[in-house]
Amino acid sequence: MRFQDAARDARAVVYAGIQADPLVARLGALLAVASPAERVMARAVMNGETTDPDGWRGMFPALFGDDHSGRPDPGRPEAILEASLAVAGRGEQVRSQFRGAIVEELTARILARRVEPAAIRRERRILFDGVRAEIHPYDVTVEREQSAEAYDCKWGARGIGADVLHQLDDARDHAAEEDIGLTVALVVFDARRSCEVRLERQTAPSAGIGLVTLETLDALGRDRPAMAR
Amino acid sequence: MTDGTVGEVLARALDAYEDLGSLGEEVEDEWTYVTDLQSTWRERFDEVVAGRGAEPVDPRAAAAVALAIAEIGRIEDPHRAIDWLSTFPQVVLLAVGEAE
Repeated sequence: MRFQDAARDARAVVYAGIQADPLVARLGALLAVASPAERVMARAVMNGETTDPDGWRGMFPALFGDDHSGRPDPGRPEAILEASLAVAGRGEQVRSQFRGAIVEELTARILARRVEPAAIRRERRILFDGVRAEIHPYDVTVEREQSAEAYDCKWGARGIGADVLHQLDDARDHAAEEDIGLTVALVVFDARRSCEVRLERQTAPSAGIGLVTLETLDALGRDRPAMAR
Repeated sequence: MTDGTVGEVLARALDAYEDLGSLGEEVEDEWTYVTDLQSTWRERFDEVVAGRGAEPVDPRAAAAVALAIAEIGRIEDPHRAIDWLSTFPQVVLLAVGEAE
């Protein structure tokens, strides 16, 4: 098994520009240390219709009320709101690309809590001897001699589909054939309940695929993810 | 006028959620997912109502849910509606003090 940079086609070049946008890094950094409620707020704002910040503040009274007691960083919700509105203000297609890039950035930052940063890579393919390579690269990989991990990142549960499940499962199988333990997982910036509904209807294999959701993002920084089911 | 109970606020949220679901069902390929998603979140709301339905609601929570209802009322795109079929319940549950 070996890793390889994805082909630099036109789509990849455009997407690399989005990944490098400072707004992606800013939201990745903010969301990496955010509370679960702050992450839900960010998801709502970046999915939202209204760009009125007061409307969002009113929708999340526990984050923006006058009582700052118990909040380690009372300025953080405001910073997340501002950055999320900046994403929401982009056109629909660009907004969608930003959201994907933000989940990838967030995943990489959380992984960096337990893995040396040099081992964390983006947009990588995994090659196996005698197996035709998948076209689509993995969003985030952890590349270490003793262990490897591959993550596909999704903004919402609806992004879970047969193609990605087959790709992750095949990679895990092929690695096992080479006696290599490869952890494969989905990172979904959505509620576990919604992801489970989505997975329930899939006929593609998911038993050996980890699932990281809004509720369990921080656990990814402590250990490899638990299986989806 | 009072803001009512947690149960009353969640009933209003569920009414709006039904309308959002109807919009999402326009995406024919996702009909099953949309209906399953509605069912599972409705069950979660029902659990909260069973436990706390008669509890007076915090006025700020009632206002938050009203804003969330207004937000989904603005949605016209069925695909955006599907995004919100997962997001809206999370916002409402947070507002009434239920961590999902």
